[in-house]
Amino acid sequence: MGNTLHELTKWCTKGKTLFYLLLFCCTAPLYAQTTVNGVVADEKGMTIPGVNVFVKGTQNVVVTDLEGQYRIEAPADAVLVYSFIGFVTQEVDVKGRTQINLTLKEDTAAIEEVVVIGYGTQRRDDINSSVSSIRTKDIENLKQTTVDQMIQGKASGVTVTNNSGAPGGAVSIHVRGTTSITGTNEPLYIIDGVPVSGDATGKSMSGRPAGSNDFSSSGGAGNNAVSPLSMINPNDIQSIDILKDASATAIYGSRGANGVIIITTKSGKKGTGKLSYEGYTSAATIYKQLDVLNLSQYARQQNALSLLFGVPAEQLRPEFAHPELLGKGTDWQDEVYRTAITQSHQLAFSGGSDNTSYYISGGFLDQQGTLLGSGYKRYTMRLNLDSKVKDWLKVGANINTGITNEILTINQSYGGLISNTLLQSPDIPVRNSDGSFAGPLDNSMNATYFNPVAEALSKDNTLIRKNFLGNVYAEADIAKGLKYRVELGANTEFSENTDFTPAYNWGVQVNQSADLTERRQNWYSINLKNLLTYDKKFGKHSFTILAGQEANDSHWEGISATATGFQSNSPFGLNLADPAQTKASSYRGSAALYSLFARLIYDFDGKYSLSASYRGDRSSKFDPTTDNQWGYFPAVAVSWKLSNEPFMENTRKYIDNIKFRLGYGETGNQQIPNNQYSATLQQQNSGLGAGFLPNIFPNPDVTWESMEQTNLGLDFTLLDSRLSVNLDVYNKKSSGFLFPVPLPAYLTGGGGQYGGLNPPYSNLGAMENKGYDITLNYGTKGEFNWNSTLVFSHYQNKLLELQDGLNLVQSVNFNGYQPYDVTNTLVGQPIGMFYGYVAEGLFQTQDQLNSAPLQFGQSVGTGAGQTSLGDVKYKDINGDNKIDATDRTLIGNPHPDFTYGFTNNFRYKNFDLSIFMQGSYGNDIMNLTYRNGTSNAQLYQNALTDAANFWTPENTNTNIPRPVGSTSNPNVQVSTRYVEDGSYLRIQNLTLGYSLPFDVINKVKLTRVRLYGSVQNLHTFTKYSGYDPEIGSFNQNVLLTGIDNGRYPSPRTFSVGINVEF
Amino acid sequence: MVFASCSDEFTNRPPEDALSLDAYYATDAQVVAATNGMYSRTWFQFANKFFYAVTEVGSGNMYSASSDVSAMRNFSLNGSDAELNNGWASLWANVQQANLIINFLEDRVGPGVSPAVLQNTIGEAYFMRATAYFYLVRLWGNVPIIENPLDYINEPQINTNRIEDVYRLIEMDYQMAIEKLNAKIRTSNYTDNGHVSKGSAKAMLAKVFLYEKKYPEAKAMAEEVINSNEFKLLGGSMVPDKDFGDLFTYPNNNNEESIFAIQWITDGNYGSANNANTQFGISTAAVTTSNASYGGVFAPSQDVIDLYDSGDIRKHETIMFPGDTYPTIKVLVNGTTPQIGFTVPSAAEIGGQGAGVAIKKYCIGIVNGNETGPIDAWAMMQNNTYIMRYADLLLIHAEATLAGGASTSDSGALTSFNAVRQRAGLTPMTSITFDDIFLERRRELCFEGDFWFDLGRIPRAQAIAFMGAQNRGNQFAEEHFTPNEDDFYLDYPDNEVSKNPKLLDEPVPYTFD
Repeated sequence: MGNTLHELTKWCTKGKTLFYLLLFCCTAPLYAQTTVNGVVADEKGMTIPGVNVFVKGTQNVVVTDLEGQYRIEAPADAVLVYSFIGFVTQEVDVKGRTQINLTLKEDTAAIEEVVVIGYGTQRRDDINSSVSSIRTKDIENLKQTTVDQMIQGKASGVTVTNNSGAPGGAVSIHVRGTTSITGTNEPLYIIDGVPVSGDATGKSMSGRPAGSNDFSSSGGAGNNAVSPLSMINPNDIQSIDILKDASATAIYGSRGANGVIIITTKSGKKGTGKLSYEGYTSAATIYKQLDVLNLSQYARQQNALSLLFGVPAEQLRPEFAHPELLGKGTDWQDEVYRTAITQSHQLAFSGGSDNTSYYISGGFLDQQGTLLGSGYKRYTMRLNLDSKVKDWLKVGANINTGITNEILTINQSYGGLISNTLLQSPDIPVRNSDGSFAGPLDNSMNATYFNPVAEALSKDNTLIRKNFLGNVYAEADIAKGLKYRVELGANTEFSENTDFTPAYNWGVQVNQSADLTERRQNWYSINLKNLLTYDKKFGKHSFTILAGQEANDSHWEGISATATGFQSNSPFGLNLADPAQTKASSYRGSAALYSLFARLIYDFDGKYSLSASYRGDRSSKFDPTTDNQWGYFPAVAVSWKLSNEPFMENTRKYIDNIKFRLGYGETGNQQIPNNQYSATLQQQNSGLGAGFLPNIFPNPDVTWESMEQTNLGLDFTLLDSRLSVNLDVYNKKSSGFLFPVPLPAYLTGGGGQYGGLNPPYSNLGAMENKGYDITLNYGTKGEFNWNSTLVFSHYQNKLLELQDGLNLVQSVNFNGYQPYDVTNTLVGQPIGMFYGYVAEGLFQTQDQLNSAPLQFGQSVGTGAGQTSLGDVKYKDINGDNKIDATDRTLIGNPHPDFTYGFTNNFRYKNFDLSIFMQGSYGNDIMNLTYRNGTSNAQLYQNALTDAANFWTPENTNTNIPRPVGSTSNPNVQVSTRYVEDGSYLRIQNLTLGYSLPFDVINKVKLTRVRLYGSVQNLHTFTKYSGYDPEIGSFNQNVLLTGIDNGRYPSPRTFSVGINVEF
Repeated sequence: MVFASCSDEFTNRPPEDALSLDAYYATDAQVVAATNGMYSRTWFQFANKFFYAVTEVGSGNMYSASSDVSAMRNFSLNGSDAELNNGWASLWANVQQANLIINFLEDRVGPGVSPAVLQNTIGEAYFMRATAYFYLVRLWGNVPIIENPLDYINEPQINTNRIEDVYRLIEMDYQMAIEKLNAKIRTSNYTDNGHVSKGSAKAMLAKVFLYEKKYPEAKAMAEEVINSNEFKLLGGSMVPDKDFGDLFTYPNNNNEESIFAIQWITDGNYGSANNANTQFGISTAAVTTSNASYGGVFAPSQDVIDLYDSGDIRKHETIMFPGDTYPTIKVLVNGTTPQIGFTVPSAAEIGGQGAGVAIKKYCIGIVNGNETGPIDAWAMMQNNTYIMRYADLLLIHAEATLAGGASTSDSGALTSFNAVRQRAGLTPMTSITFDDIFLERRRELCFEGDFWFDLGRIPRAQAIAFMGAQNRGNQFAEEHFTPNEDDFYLDYPDNEVSKNPKLLDEPVPYTFD
C-alpha cells in the first residue's frame, strides 16, 4: 500500500520541488526544522520502498521512494519512527543529524508466530495442540529432490526415512510412531488447501505403482514407490506445519490419524517486484563400496565350493586352475556406480500492490542417479495470486504444475541392479571384444544374474508424470466478524511408463524378441470446501467459531499394454510389435468422502484457552447400505499461559512464555482399496476362453479405523528468550485398524493373483504408541549470530490386540521366486519385529552335534540334507528338542529408541554456515544383502569377501558356516546371523555461504548475491556393515521396515550454488 | 440431515472395473464360462515348477541342479521352500473356487439359466475339488477338509483330517461330478473337448479306487469309461494318423486321448500359460529350444536314460539323446539364427544340468506359428498339460484286473495293456505282472508327474530300496540318496504353520453331513 501511496503522491506533485513545498506548507512552523534524508534497507541490504517515516507525536509522514530514499522535515530533537509491514518498527533520535540511513529488521517473530492449523491460522502463542513448524530458512540449504525428504530431523515427533537413494524415490514419514498397519502410515498433506495422500502406493485408489505392476514384496519389481510430492518444487515452499496430536488433526477427522502436514507456498509481498534466481550444480557419489571377491579370490572360492558340492576334481573349471595368476576381473561396483551430476535452476518473481500480490516461479532440476541408468528431471511452474476485489471480497489462486521424467531401476529385489552388481561373477567382462555386452557363456553357469551394466544401459524404463495441482478461493466478509470462504481445489496426475527390454544376446542370456510394457494412468481429485468463520471479542473473551462442509471426489483409471515379437530393437512402439501377441488391460474406479465439521476456539484474557472440534465423515469405502460409512471425530484441547498470570511478573527474567497444553482427540483412517464390503469377480482366462472367478471374500462389516490420542505439552523460554523449550508427551491408541485378514492359503488359495481369493480388509486389532517429543532452540543476538535447534523424538510402539488366530508374518523375496518370512507382529510387542531363528554359533565338535536337538529333521552326517560340523547351531526356542519352523522367534527390532536432528546456523558478517546432523539410535537392520553375499549355496555367483572365510575342519574360528549347495539349506535360514545394529549419526548437511557486500553488488543493481558450497550426507557414523544404515520401509510397508535387500544407497553430494535477487 | 441425504449417492461407489458377483450369472453362457479360469490360472502355481520338482525330481525321473527345484533330488525339501508354498496354495485355490460354485452358484444364477447348464458347471466344480484333494492327500497326507471356506474365515485355525476321510470326500465328489457332468464323446473336433465330462470323472475315480486298492470298483469304473468309447489312444488303432509324439504338441491340445488337461493361454498375465518348453529341452549359446534367456532347468535323470528299449517309439519322444534329430522343432542357432529342425548335440554340449541328455516331452521349440502357438512375455506357451490321459486309464484297468495278484492273462487286462504297448511300437504281452504294469506306467507317463505317486503306493520298503538304488547324479558324478519313511509326505509350508500351528497336530476325523 505504501508504495502505491508514494506513487500517488509523486504523481500528484509532479516532482520533488513541489513535494517539499507542499510538505513545508503543511508542517507547523513552530520549531527549527532540519531536513533529514536517508535510505531504508533490509538486513540483506535491499532498499525498501514504501516505508512510512514519521515524526513521533505528529502527523508528519513521508514514504520512501522506489530507491528506498526519504526526505523529511523534522525538529532536531525529534524522534523518527520507521514502520513497514513485516518489519520491526524502529524509533531513531534525530539528534541534529541530517542523514539517517537505517536497516530495518525483518519481523521474524511476526512471520513465525502464525501457524497454519486446519481450515485457518492461529498465532503460535495461542495454539493448544502440538504443532511443529518448519520455515524456509530451516530447509533452504538442503539440496534434496523432494520436500518430504527435507522434513527429516527438522521436526520433533516426526520420523522420516528415505526408502531408497534413487532420485525421486518415496520416503516414509511417521508422525509419532506407526499408527496403523494398513500398509501405509503416511500423513495427509494439505498443499495450499488441497489434500494429497502421502501414501505412495495409492492403496485407496488404484493401488498400482506408476512404474511397475505391483508393490508386492514377493515379486521382482522391488521397492518401486515414487514420492507423491515429487511435483512440488521445494524452493516454492514458505512453511510446513505438522499437526501431530489428535486435538489438532481431528478437524481432518477421516484422514488425520497419521498426522497432517500442511504445506504453504510462497506468496508475493507488497512492494516493488522482486526477481530471484537460485541455481546449483552438484556431484554425487556413493561413499562406500562393499568388499566382494575379485577374480582371483573368486576362482579360489569357486574351486573350493565345487569340491564341497561334489564336483570331481577333474571337472573343475580349467580356467580357474591357477587362481593366483588371475587378475582382479570385473569390478561391477566400479562399473555400475558413477559420479552423478545434478543441476538445478529456479527463477521466481514476486511482488504486490495494495490489492494484489503475486508469486511466479519456474524451476528445472536435472539429476543423475549414482546408479548407471537412473535419473530424474523435473520441471515445475507455480503461480500464486491473491487479490482484493472489493473491500469485503478477497479471491486468490495457487496453481502448480510439476512434470517429472524419471529413469527407473529396480532395487531392494533379488533381480535388482544392486544384487546383480554384488553377485555377478567377476570373470564376466562388461563387454565383449566387439563392443557388445557380455554374459555367461554356458547355461550350466546357472546364470541367475545379469550383466548389470547391460541391464542399466539397454533396458529402457522411464516414467513421466504430469501433475497439476491448484486451489482457488473466495472469501467474503458478510458481517462484522463473520466470513464466508469457498475453496475449490483440484489435483490431477497423468503418468506414462514405458518399460522396454530389447532383444539381446549377452552370452547365453538371450531375449529372443524385445518386450514392451506401456502403462498409462491418470487420476484426479476434486475438493470443495465451504467455510463460515465468526470472530468475536467482548471484554476479555474472544471466540472463533468455524463451521464447514467439505466434499472430496476422486477418480482413477489406467490402461496397460504388453507387446512382444518386435522385428528390431529401435524404434519400438506397440504398433511395431506382433499384433497377435499384444495384450491390453485396464482398470478404473472412484471414491468419495463427504464431511461436516465445526470448531470453537475460546480465549479468556490471553491466559486460558479452549478449542473443541467435531467432524463427521462419510466414506465410500464402506458399505453404503449400512451405518458403517459415517465416522465421528471429536476433539478438545485446553491451555494455560502461566506466565501471563500477574503473580508470575517477577520470574519473567528467568523463565517466560510458560504454557501448559492438554488435548484429546479422535481421528480415523479409511485408506483401503475400494469395495472390500462386496464380492467382485476377476477375469481369469484359460484356453477355453475368458472366465470370471470371485477374487475376494467380502466383509460387509468393515468400517473406520479409529485413533484416540492424548497430548500433554509444556512450552517455556529461558535466558531472556534465547532458549526455548517445547515438550510434548503423548499416548496414541488406534483400534480397529484396517488390514487384509492374513488368512492361511488353505482358505485363500494364495490370493487373487493366481485364481485364489483375496482376504478382505477387516478391523483387526489395536495398537498403542507412547512417546515424547522435545524441541530445544537456542539463538544468540548480535553480530555473531548463532542459532541451534535440537529435536528429539521417542516412541514406543506396541500391538495391543489382534483378532484371534491371525498371524501377521510378512515375507520378502530372496531370489526371484522364494518369499521368506522376515518379520512377525505379535500382541504385546512392537509391530514388524524381525522374525527367525536364534543362531548359537557353529557346530564345532561331534559332541555338540550329537547332543543338539535334531535340526530340521536332518540326521547327523556329512551328506546333503544332513547336519554336520560347521553347520549353524540353532536354538531350540520351544524346548521340544527339535529345531523346526516353530523355533522361530523375534530376533530384532526395527524401531529406534529415539531419533534426533541437530541444526546449527551461524552467521558472521557476510558469512553463513550451517551444519545439520541427524540420526537414529537403537534400531536393528536385517541385512539380507549380507545373507545373499555369504550364502555359499550356489556356484557361478560372486560373494562378499567374508564368504571365503567359511568353516572347514582346518578353519574353525569363523562365523561363516560350511557351504551347502542348496539355497534352502538350513544354514541360510533367516536368523540372528543377519541382524545388525542400525544406529547411526549422519552429518546430513554442511553449507558455507558468503553474501557479497551490498555496496559492491548495488552498483550492478543487484540486491543480493550469495554464493555457497554444500555437502549433503557428508559422513555417517555407524557400525552397520551394509551400504547405508538408513533403510526405511519396503514400499512404505511398516511391517517390512529395516530390511536391506539391496537398497539403492543414498549418495554423498557436493554442491555449489548461487542465490541472486534484484 | 439435508446434507447427509444428498451424500447418499455421492458416497456410493460400486466397482467400475469389476463385475459384481450379485449381478453376474444371468445367462447360460456366463454360467458355462464360470469355470474357465479353473482350467488354467488356478493350476499355474502347481504346474509351473512344483509339480515337476516334487513328482519328477522326487521320483528320480528328472535331474536338476537348479536350487529352486532340486531339493527332492536328495529329499531335503522342507517347509521353507517357495515352490512347496506355491503348489500348496494352488491346489487350495482350486478347492476354494470349487467350493464357492458348489455352495453358492445355484442361489446366484438368474432365471434365464437352464438347469442342465447349471448342473454341469457344478459338476465341474466337484471334479476340480476332488482332483485338487487327490493331489493334496497324496502329497501331504492329512489335510483339512474344507467344504465351505466361509465357515472358517473368522476362525481359520483348524485341524487336519485323516487320510481316509479325505479319500472319502474325493470319492463322493467324483460321484457327484459323474452325476452332474454332461456325457461326451471326444471327437476330432478338438475345440469341443476341453471341458471335463462324466467320463473324465469316472476315469479319475477309477484311479482313486486303485490308490485305495478297491480293485473291483476300480476295474468296473475303468470299464465304464472304456466301454463308453469316449476316449481313444492317439496313434492307436482308432486314431492311426497320429502318433505318440503328437500327444505333446500344441495343435493336438484336447485330442481324443485327453481326459483332463490344463488349458493354458497367453493372455498377457503372468501365470496363464505353460512354462514347460522353457524348463525342458536344450538351451546353450549354440542351440536353444527355449524362447527365454534361460532353459533346460530340468533334465532326464541318469536313471531314465536306459528306461526304454530301442524299439520303443516313446524313447525319442520323451528324451533327446545326442544325435537324435527333430525335423519339425524350430530352434535358434548361435543365439541369432532361427532354424527348423535340428540334431541334438553331443552329451558334453547339451549343457543345462549336465545330464548329457534333455527332456523332449512338452518341449515344442521356439515360437513357430501354428505349430507352437504364441508365447507370452515370460516365454510361456499354450500347449496343454495332462492331468490324466486315456493310456493311464488303460493301465489302471489292467492293474485293477490284476487286483494285487501275481500275474494275469485276463483278456480285458491284456487288451488294455497291449493297446498302450502297441502304440509305442512294442510287441504285445500274453501275461502281465504288477512289475510289468509298474514299468510300463513309468515309461508311458515319464515326465508327466505320475511316477512319484506310483512309488508312494507300493510298499514303502520297496520304494525306498528302489529310489536308493537310483543314480541321482549327473553324467559326471553318480550320486545316491535314500529317502526316509517321512519323505513320502511333504512338510506343510512354514508360512502356513505360522498361521495355523494346528497343522502339526494329529489329524481328527471329519464329520460328513
